Amino acid sequence: MSEWLESAITRAQGINDWLAPKRAHALDLLAKTKWPTRKTEAWRYTPLRPVERTPAKVIRDKVDLSPVVIADLSAIEVVFVNGQFDQAQLAKTLPAGLSIALGADLNAAQQADALTAFSTIKPERHIFGLINDALAQDVVVVSVAEGVEITQPVRISSLLSLGAESHTRVQVVLAAGSKLTVIEDIQAQGDSLNTAFVEYNIAANARLEHYRFALQTGSNVAVGGSHFNLHDHAKMNSTIVGFGSELSRLDTDIIHAGEFADAKLNAMYLLDGKELFDLHATVEHAMPNGKTEENVRCIVADRSRAVFNGRIHIHRDAQKTLAELNNRNLLLSDKAEINTKPELEIYADDVKCAHGATVAQIDKQALYYLQTRGVSRSKAQVMLNFGFINELIDLMPNAALAEWIRPIIRERFAQMEVK
Amino acid sequence: MTEQIDKALAREYEAGFVSDVESETFEPGLNEDVIRRISGMKGEPEWMLEWRLGAFREWLEMEEPDWALVDYPKIDFQSISYYSAPKSMKDKPKSLDEVDPELLRTYEKLGIPLIEQQMLAGVAVDAVFDSVSVVTTFREKLEEAGVIFCPISEAVHKYPDLVKKYIGSVVPKKDNYYAALNCAVFTDGSFVYIPKGTRCPMELSTYFRINEQNTGQFERTLIVADEGSHVSYLEGCTAPQRDENQLHAAVVELVAMDNAEIKYSTVQNWYPGDENGKGGIYNFVTKRGICHTNAKISWTQVETGSSVTWKYPSCILKGDNSVGEFYSVALTRGRQQADTGTKMIHLGKNTKSTIISKGISAGRSNNSYRGLVRMNPGAEGARNFTQCDSLLIGDQCGAHTFPYVESRNPSAIVEHEATTSKVSDEQMFLCRQRGLDPEKAVSMIVNGFCKEVFKELPMEFAVEAGKLLEISLEGSVG
Repeated sequence: MSEWLESAITRAQGINDWLAPKRAHALDLLAKTKWPTRKTEAWRYTPLRPVERTPAKVIRDKVDLSPVVIADLSAIEVVFVNGQFDQAQLAKTLPAGLSIALGADLNAAQQADALTAFSTIKPERHIFGLINDALAQDVVVVSVAEGVEITQPVRISSLLSLGAESHTRVQVVLAAGSKLTVIEDIQAQGDSLNTAFVEYNIAANARLEHYRFALQTGSNVAVGGSHFNLHDHAKMNSTIVGFGSELSRLDTDIIHAGEFADAKLNAMYLLDGKELFDLHATVEHAMPNGKTEENVRCIVADRSRAVFNGRIHIHRDAQKTLAELNNRNLLLSDKAEINTKPELEIYADDVKCAHGATVAQIDKQALYYLQTRGVSRSKAQVMLNFGFINELIDLMPNAALAEWIRPIIRERFAQMEVK
Repeated sequence: MTEQIDKALAREYEAGFVSDVESETFEPGLNEDVIRRISGMKGEPEWMLEWRLGAFREWLEMEEPDWALVDYPKIDFQSISYYSAPKSMKDKPKSLDEVDPELLRTYEKLGIPLIEQQMLAGVAVDAVFDSVSVVTTFREKLEEAGVIFCPISEAVHKYPDLVKKYIGSVVPKKDNYYAALNCAVFTDGSFVYIPKGTRCPMELSTYFRINEQNTGQFERTLIVADEGSHVSYLEGCTAPQRDENQLHAAVVELVAMDNAEIKYSTVQNWYPGDENGKGGIYNFVTKRGICHTNAKISWTQVETGSSVTWKYPSCILKGDNSVGEFYSVALTRGRQQADTGTKMIHLGKNTKSTIISKGISAGRSNNSYRGLVRMNPGAEGARNFTQCDSLLIGDQCGAHTFPYVESRNPSAIVEHEATTSKVSDEQMFLCRQRGLDPEKAVSMIVNGFCKEVFKELPMEFAVEAGKLLEISLEGSVG
């Protein structure tokens, strides 16, 4: 066991609040879990040294930080600063049918519900999920009432000052027939460590539009997850944009717990320098007639390393499932590395499942074509790289977010050292 | 429907008979003395014994791998007998006339042509019965061409330099748990050496048979194709029908020197256990080849037997422009479990690999493809194409795909595709419409599904493989 984990466990043992039974359970499991090494399948390509030697510390003093402004996006802000929920940044009045509150502030009945639901969607195999269970400072519960469509997006920001450690946790509950857009965003100033986990329960006929921006770079360590539970006819559309950092690891789990659920996941990550980004996307089709479509694209430059594990698991009862996973990777440098593993585990026969993965460099013919049209080689490379990712940005349903992220990505390409 | 499938799938295992051959078998158990005895029985030189003991000591420190998607009770390595030989082999027969007729009948039943005169196939055969090589045919003709094809136990004496140089050079002693065990206790197997620039005049073939109860089979095959040579090698296996599980842990090493080509084909039909999963062979095999410059290694396998399969024939593409190929059909039914695939390690420039894997699951079986394609930094311009297709017959089986892709060279191109489906109603409807009965239709569709792999097999094997598949699929209408 690592020293870091030991100290985390010691700290967690001192917490006594409404989540006590869940925290105790997580600590029990942690005591039985081995600290991942290269031989641990889920961490095969992602060494945990950056966690072991992180300088990050919990900062209790109040720090003033606010999320970046996104033009034309009028979001309801849920802000965590260094792991603490900042009530002052939350709007005083919320749209009818939407409630956002600290778990500790809920009334007894609501709190009992939140406690029951806590950590039921996020699978227990995530060691950092368990750490988050045990250590999450403030737990926020977001819920939408039955049949209510909230047009204003909810943005959950986790902001970290230099050298901060934070463990944030949000529960999002969409009642039957409701609709909500959630943006998860992490911004860190360096030398930080955060675990940010969000669980989504999407009831029958509800719709979730989801974004996760993991744009922290440099010396930050970020290990988190977004976990979704879909009931009958529920729909979700998720977009993930990631830049690498010293260690960035994201786990998504999409569980088809009802029939005729529909999930879309578009993920893109762009790595440079010595960055690492590891995405583990798991889809569990537990019920029949579900549909999943995943598109994952990745560009790695310089000495960066990308890891992707895309697992689709079709259970015995999940007949008539349609599941597709497409993973495309561009390798720009001979020091960079791509490790990808699309997995299918299928126990039902009347299904259509496919996955594809490619690793290559930029299409030489396309490059040549642009050069014959007078575009410089380096500019042509940026254009082609950008086009590769832009196809997924075009699929983002929220125009304000697409317009915001596009120049950020373009700038990232311009910085990438193309060899 | 499931009932109908199960009934149809409960067909007899045709090679399940036991031969009444008097044999000499070691008491079950494994320790250094057993290894000394095996080595002693074979009259091995000191270096061979030391090598075995070294591997055994490594093995004691190792852990059984548990990452494969297979489930079986823990193996008690002390309850296995590590040596069994037909008694009549003690004074090794000089020619076929001296071989125990019961043994010959066994091979006859299996359809293996040992009697040279009667043979039409033109295939040289090395037959391994339990722990010893029974007979190797056509040796004189091969010797004329300079080809060495003999039991490995004989090669240790006759060609110690070659064996010493290459044994363990592709699969190191402590490569994995079962390979280390094999190094310690291997009893026999085939040795092939093709001299420079020689095209082996005929197909070489080994047939493995486990006959004795409570024995394991640990054979070892070493094929060295020297510069510019070419060889095609076939391997087949069967075992009697027994209620206990038996272990088969083989090691196959291929060395393809510059410009050489090795084609290795396997039809694996070990006893798969009954429909409830009782008995059957645990097939835990390590197969690997190394390709030097411009060399080519092609693995083709048709896997229909064994209760549990754990097998990943691999290629190390060390030399520039070398080529690795893997063509596989794996059929599981009843309670069989197969976790099989390949590794293509690209080290040299412009190396190419192709992987075509077809998995067919029926009954209550589980069939997994597990593969690794690695492009190392030096694999400039390397290319891989992988296609994994799974076909499900019935709703109680599983089909899984676990491909690992690791790329560290931007000019290398890796493509991986996988699909899973069942025999579609439309396909069935079309065939039925044309007057085919459902069984014939399924067999035809499955044959079409496997065609890409079957066409890679040598003729005799392709026929055998097609037949095997047809029998296995009888009545399994999806």
